[in-house]
Amino acid sequence: MKTSKNLQLTIVGIAAAIGILLILWKPSVLIYGLQGAGLYAAVALPMALILGIVGIINLAHGEFMMLGAYLAYWFSTQFGIDPLLAMIPVLISMGIVGVITYKTTIHRVLGAPELNQLILTFGIAMVLSQVVNLIATSQPRKLSLDYVTASAKVGELSFGTYDFIFVAAAVLFLAGLLFFLRRTKLGKAAVAVGQNPKGARLVGINVDRTYLIIFSIALGLLGIIGTLFLTSHSIFPLVGGSYTMKSFCLVAMAGIGQLKPILWGSLALGVSESFIMSFQGYGGWADIVFFAIIVIVIISRAYKRTES
Amino acid sequence: MLEIRDLNSHYGKLHVLRDINLQIGNESVGLFGPNGSGKTTLINAVMGLWKPTSGSINFNEEDITNIDTYNIARKGIALVPQERELFPGMNVQENLESGAAYIPHAKDELESSLENVYSIFPILKERSKQLAVTLSGGQQRMLAVGRALMAKPKLLILDEPSLGLQPSLVSELFEKLAEMKETVSILVTEQNVRESLKAVDRGYVLENGSVALEDSAEGLSTNPHVIKSYLGL
Ligand SMILES: Nc1ncnc2c1ncn2[C@@H]1O[C@H](COP(=O)(O)OP(=O)(O)OP(=O)(O)O)[C@@H](O)[C@H]1O
Ligand SMILES: [Mg+2]
Repeated sequence: MKTSKNLQLTIVGIAAAIGILLILWKPSVLIYGLQGAGLYAAVALPMALILGIVGIINLAHGEFMMLGAYLAYWFSTQFGIDPLLAMIPVLISMGIVGVITYKTTIHRVLGAPELNQLILTFGIAMVLSQVVNLIATSQPRKLSLDYVTASAKVGELSFGTYDFIFVAAAVLFLAGLLFFLRRTKLGKAAVAVGQNPKGARLVGINVDRTYLIIFSIALGLLGIIGTLFLTSHSIFPLVGGSYTMKSFCLVAMAGIGQLKPILWGSLALGVSESFIMSFQGYGGWADIVFFAIIVIVIISRAYKRTES
Repeated sequence: MLEIRDLNSHYGKLHVLRDINLQIGNESVGLFGPNGSGKTTLINAVMGLWKPTSGSINFNEEDITNIDTYNIARKGIALVPQERELFPGMNVQENLESGAAYIPHAKDELESSLENVYSIFPILKERSKQLAVTLSGGQQRMLAVGRALMAKPKLLILDEPSLGLQPSLVSELFEKLAEMKETVSILVTEQNVRESLKAVDRGYVLENGSVALEDSAEGLSTNPHVIKSYLGL
C-alpha cells in the first residue's frame, strides 16, 4: 500500500518534471500533445463504457466514429447547416444505428464465447468502411470552416486553439459518464451487469435492455466525436481503423472498469506523439512509440499483479 | 403460491427433471436429494434461468414458465443461488441496495429493509463499506441472503445456503429462516437435512430427477429411507 503511494508520487513527479522541461524547451509540443490527447480520450471513453463497464467487445468502434463523421458531412452539406449544429441529428441517428446494430447482431453473440464478438464486430467494421467507400468513394472530404483556424499567441508562440474542443469533449464525456454510472439508476444497473450479468438478472435488472441502451449511448457519443473530428480533420472510409486500435489499447491500459486513467493514458500518449512529431522527418515513429508505451504499461501492470 | 405441474427438463439429451409436481403455499418447504438429483435445475426453472422442456410453473395464479428472470424477480421471487452471484466490485451496502433498487414493491422501503438485514446479520453492517470480493465465503453467503431479503420477496428460494458456513452459523441461519416463515414463503435445498428439517414445515425428496417422497417435516424425520440415506443414523 505504502510503496504504491510512493510509486504514484514518483510517477506524478516525473510527469511534472517532463511537463516543466517541455514548457521551457518545446512549449508547442505540450499544447498539441494536449489537443491530441483530448481526441484520443474522447474516442476511447465510449469504448471504456461498452468494453470496460458492460463487457461488449466492439472492433468497429473507429468505424462507427467514421460513420458519424460522414453523417455529419452529409447533414451539413445537404442542408447547408454548420456541422456543429449537425451534431444533434447525428447523435440521434447514431443512437438509432446503435439500436439496430445491437438488435440485429450484437445481441445474438453476447452469450457466446468472446471470439464470436471479436469476429462479428470485425465484420461490421469491414462492412461499414466498404459501404461508405461505395457510397461516398475513397476521396477524402474536408470542410473549410473559418472558426477552425482560430489561433492564439503567447509571447513568441502562436498556436491553433480550435482543437482544444477535443479536450473539452473528453472532460465533459468523463464527467458525464462518471455521473451516469455513480448516480443514475440505469448507470448503476450497467455497472451491476458488467460485474455479474446473472446476478443482475436475479435482482430484477433487464440485462438485455441495459446492454442495448449502453451500446446506443456509446454510439451516440461516437456520433458527437465524429462530428467534431470532421470539423478539423479530413475524413475517408478507412479513417476510423487506427482509432479502434488506439482506443482498445487505452482501455486495456486504464484497466477494466476504469474511466479516469483513460485521461492520463491519453495525455502521456498525446504528448509523446507530438514530441516525436516535432522532430522533422521522425513523424513516422509516433505510432511505434504509442504502441511501445502501451506494451510497457500492460506488461508492468501484469508484473505488479504477479508480485502482489 | 407456487405450483409446478408435470415439469420436465433436459440438458441436451440428459433428462434431468421427470414429471415434477410440487406446491408451496404460505409455508416453508425443503427440497432434499443427493448431488446431481436436479435440485438446482428445478430452482433454475422456477427462476427462468433454464427453460424447461415441458410442464408449467405458476406463481400466484400466473403462468411464469416462459417469463424472463428479471421479471420473475420483480413479481416477488428472490433466489439465493448456490454460487451466490454477488457484485464483486461493489461494497456490501451497494450489493444490498441492488437487491431492492430494481424491484418496484421494494425500492421505496430500501432504508427500512437495510436496517432489517443489518439487524439479522450485524457482521454485514460492520463491513458495509468493504468490497464483496474481499469477504470470506461465509460472509458472502450472508450477503447473498441479505440481498435476496432486500427484494421483500413473497417467495424466498435458497440453494444450499449452509454451504461453506461454520456449524454454529448454520443453526443460526436456520433459526433466522424459521423466524421469517411468518412473513415469507421459503423453498430451501439442503445437504444438511437434519438442521433444515427443524426449519421447514414440509419437504420433498428428489432422486434421479423425480419426486421420490413428499411429507411433513415430522413424517420425513421418522421415515426409514430418509433416516438411512440422509440423516445417517
Ligand atoms: N449446465 C449443465 N449442462 C449439462 N448438464 C448439467 C448442467 N447443469 C447440471 N447438469 C446435470 O444435471 C444433473 C442435475 O444437476 P443439478 O445441478 O440440478 O443437481 P443438484 O441436485 O443441484 O446437485 P448438487 O447437490 O450437487 O448441487 C446433474 O447430473 C448434472 O450433471
Ligand atoms: Mg445444486
